Amino acid sequence: MTVRDIAIRYGFIALLVGLIIFFTLATDGFASPQAAVFIFQSVAITGVLALGVTATLVVGGFDLSIGSVATTAMMASAYVLVVLEQNALVAVLACLAIGVLVGLINGFLIVYMRVPDLLATLGMMFLLVGLQRIPTEGRSIATGMTMPDGTVANGTFSPAFLALGRHRFDFFIPSLIPVSVVVLLVLAVLIWFFLEYTRFGRMMYAVGSNPKAAELAGAPVKAYKIWAYVISGVFASIGGILLAARLGRGDIASGNNLLLDAVAAALIGFAVLGAAKPNAFGTTIGALFVGVLLQGLTMMNAPYYTQDFVKGVVLVVALVFTFALSHRGRS
Amino acid sequence: MSFTRRTLGKMAMGLIGASCLMGMPAIAADMPAPFDKPGDVKIALVRYLSTGDFFQAYLSGVEAQAKALGVDLRVLDSRQDAALQADMVDQAIALGVQGIIIQHGLTESMKEAAQRAVDAGIKVVAFDVNVENDAIPQIEQSDRDLARLALEQAIADNGESWKAGYVYVAGIAPLDRRNETWVEFKGKYPGIEEVAMFGTLDNPIANSVANQARSVLTANPGIQVMFAPYDEFAKGVKIAVDEAGMSKDIKIYSADISTSDIAAMREPDSAWAATAATNPAVVGQVSVRALAQLLAGEDPGKSVIVPPTLITQKQLIDNDIKNMEELSAKLPQFAHADVAMPEWMPNPNE
Repeated sequence: MTVRDIAIRYGFIALLVGLIIFFTLATDGFASPQAAVFIFQSVAITGVLALGVTATLVVGGFDLSIGSVATTAMMASAYVLVVLEQNALVAVLACLAIGVLVGLINGFLIVYMRVPDLLATLGMMFLLVGLQRIPTEGRSIATGMTMPDGTVANGTFSPAFLALGRHRFDFFIPSLIPVSVVVLLVLAVLIWFFLEYTRFGRMMYAVGSNPKAAELAGAPVKAYKIWAYVISGVFASIGGILLAARLGRGDIASGNNLLLDAVAAALIGFAVLGAAKPNAFGTTIGALFVGVLLQGLTMMNAPYYTQDFVKGVVLVVALVFTFALSHRGRS
Repeated sequence: MSFTRRTLGKMAMGLIGASCLMGMPAIAADMPAPFDKPGDVKIALVRYLSTGDFFQAYLSGVEAQAKALGVDLRVLDSRQDAALQADMVDQAIALGVQGIIIQHGLTESMKEAAQRAVDAGIKVVAFDVNVENDAIPQIEQSDRDLARLALEQAIADNGESWKAGYVYVAGIAPLDRRNETWVEFKGKYPGIEEVAMFGTLDNPIANSVANQARSVLTANPGIQVMFAPYDEFAKGVKIAVDEAGMSKDIKIYSADISTSDIAAMREPDSAWAATAATNPAVVGQVSVRALAQLLAGEDPGKSVIVPPTLITQKQLIDNDIKNMEELSAKLPQFAHADVAMPEWMPNPNE
């Protein structure tokens, strides 16, 4: 391996380690298990969304609707819990159903209606931003809210549902690791194993790199593509569930920031280990990288606008790693 | 608003009830022209912003006061389209309305449209938008008073010297006005030490602010007071304080209120100590009342300021207040502002 190869393979990870050392020296309290946990927690939701968008990137697609799927799932869970007064299980199932349904519709539009992926999912994004407001006529959902017909919604966020956002597992230190971090790690391992080691996952990569060849080789290309959008939709809805459980109410939000952060994490992931392609491990590291930077900067009292700037710099550097330095990017 | 048969029925019952109780002719005799024949008075509300709890509540206030006066209200909603909002003023002129309320908007796009309405002999008031016209009274909620009330409570609770975290995003007009008061307070009380300033408007705002606040709390464990003069900020800070297990060590002071804010303030050991708020429904009522005064030939003044109310955690718990309706019912100063209230003006809360 030449120096150049090593730089491409391990450059980004070295940068991450360097950052952690820098923040440890520059701030009080950065190098503690608690700080490690809240860095994970701050990226858990965007990380889950990023893993979903990775699945669509793998088949050569893109999903712009994930942010609004997440906020729609958040509103749906709040609606089920507070207005319909159902339990946590029903709320979770309703959200997952929304994720599957949106994924199927996205896939159908792209595969059978031949709408380009960016446009189909852009349309879906607008549709969902509007749809989530219709049942409550634009109000946020919280216990005790007044509905459009004048009645008061008396359901509550059940403790079981809130636990998804607030319960912490013991890990050497009592109540250390929040559920959202566990969900992120479990989903990351699952999707990593699925994409790298199962026949299904490898076929998805084949579809992404050359759909025609995959089709001629007898792969059901359309089905793989639709599955990718279903995965993306379900992951986004899981992100929405975690968001609702953390906030404890249904918030009107477009989710655009969630979308942008998730896409950034997935693209940064291209550069990790010199993969130069979408991959689950890279996506997770990418999300963590952004988390470490932002939390570190906040601890150093950096103002909010520097954070977007830094995110942009990281993304550009990662893309340079991917496209300029790696051989694969040149083809 | 969707009218189901039930709501129509309720409204009809309410109207019948109201007319029986009050006796229409008696009231009409006391009212100045043109409100002696209120059915002939048409007014329009031309909106720029409409989605969200605040604007929904504002509209309900406008509707309630218009109903109490008995006037015909038309609502024109431009949904954040500045050009359309200006066109809607012309549309209202064409409809033959006598009065227009301009709710938010951009000075550049609304200035000329407002002037056209004034030229057409229509009375106009403006809420939270400066249309640079001497004939048009401004309805305002006082952001400086909001911040002042919350900070005075913080000093009453914590004394005159503490370490503070401050949540602020520059460039948003109401937050900038609240910031002026914060800067003034820091000058007046040198014991207040601002150890961290942070903030973001990335939505969902509460979630993004929670992530930041978590870092700030770890880097500055000595913080005693968090001043978060916008309820979304306060919600985010509260999530972070809870997650850090510091809810007994830190007090949060904020501005604005909603039903979910009330729930968060009422939680056991909640760090959210107090908030200062103007009731958006009252602002809506005051907008209509100021317009009605103009129509009756009275002068509401160049600027009509709706005073804010301080709401503490203790008040909410002692009075068992769980949502905005109960807040209005149990804190009368929140439900009604004695602004633009001449003798003849009907109070929609009675």
